[in-house]
Amino acid sequence: MLATLLLAQANVTWYMLPLALAISLVYSASRYELPEYILGRALRLFLQIVGFMGGAFLILWFLTYGL
Amino acid sequence: MSSAPSASPPNHPRPWEDKNPVVAGVLAYLIPGAGHLYQGRTAKGLIYCLSILGLFFWGQKLGEGMVVYNLPEKTGPLRYVALSYAAQLGIGASALPALVQNRRVLSDTRANKLTGPLSAPFQGTLSSSENPEGGVLVGTVKFDVVDGQFGQEIHGSFEGTLDGQPTKLELGGGRFEIDRPIKAGFRRMLHCNVVESDTKPNTAPRYIKGSIPRPFINAYGSPPDPDQLQEINGRLGKIYELALVFTWIAGLLNVLAIWDCVMGPAYGFGDEHPAAPAASRTTATSSAPPVSPQPAATPETGPASPAQKSPA
Repeated sequence: MLATLLLAQANVTWYMLPLALAISLVYSASRYELPEYILGRALRLFLQIVGFMGGAFLILWFLTYGL
Repeated sequence: MSSAPSASPPNHPRPWEDKNPVVAGVLAYLIPGAGHLYQGRTAKGLIYCLSILGLFFWGQKLGEGMVVYNLPEKTGPLRYVALSYAAQLGIGASALPALVQNRRVLSDTRANKLTGPLSAPFQGTLSSSENPEGGVLVGTVKFDVVDGQFGQEIHGSFEGTLDGQPTKLELGGGRFEIDRPIKAGFRRMLHCNVVESDTKPNTAPRYIKGSIPRPFINAYGSPPDPDQLQEINGRLGKIYELALVFTWIAGLLNVLAIWDCVMGPAYGFGDEHPAAPAASRTTATSSAPPVSPQPAATPETGPASPAQKSPA
């Protein structure tokens, strides 16, 4: 059910991943100078964004279950 | 990916202080990452360039080139730059043509008219009221404006293939519609009647309907018509809105890149030692960033050493 829902949203939702990656990279690059720290912080921020979005998705999916 | 902070921050060079900050800032605005490359900060320059320009042009592609344009309001504070375009303007040279294109469109008086000879590759269909689907036409159209009995008339011809078979058509005969030369979209709509050499009774007149290329210089950054916006919104739906969001975010992200290029990174190099009082609460700060945020540097001094800062 959840997989079907994710696939149904494929046209828009999956575009958010590269968007989040670009935002994470640029934000981290503007905070730090050394490339290894930029990449490390960007990866962490990317996972935080995706985790937050995934959490919001699950909450909305749960609240609308059966509607 | 990140390693533990060193005991004392190494004495890193500060490349953003070595080069002219005005030149670097202007370069960073015009082309994301160019200012960093000018300063010798290659890795950051590439990160900014690929991320920001990639996002911007991906948005352009998703929106079929109709997302970056300036359609300001007639009056009020937004009468020069539309709010949507203001966000895109941060990307620099890639969005600046829209400022000029808006003026070119307003000053263009050749709306839907042909003022001189035209020769262009054509793609479209040959149809009639009896056969609306028609056949596929691929070839070249040529038009010229001539003085006729009742004023200026447009005569032309098509030479190419109809469903793969070589075909020649004489065009004109009254109906001639063509898109404005300066407008959003890389194809220019064309609709024209066919002049029949041997008219048979009870035969519906035929017409060609299709498009010719619109030059890049006339299409890029030009504002679309309301009917174009309605059509693309209906066809692309959320993808068009997503394309707008991509270009907005790309423009706003470049503001961060410009700031970093002129003033240096906001937090420092990343390997600095945490501020001294933090040692007494190691457990509490173990998951915190290795460096406490510090205020942006002044051009004279650059960012202050995080080790000299008190914790936030």
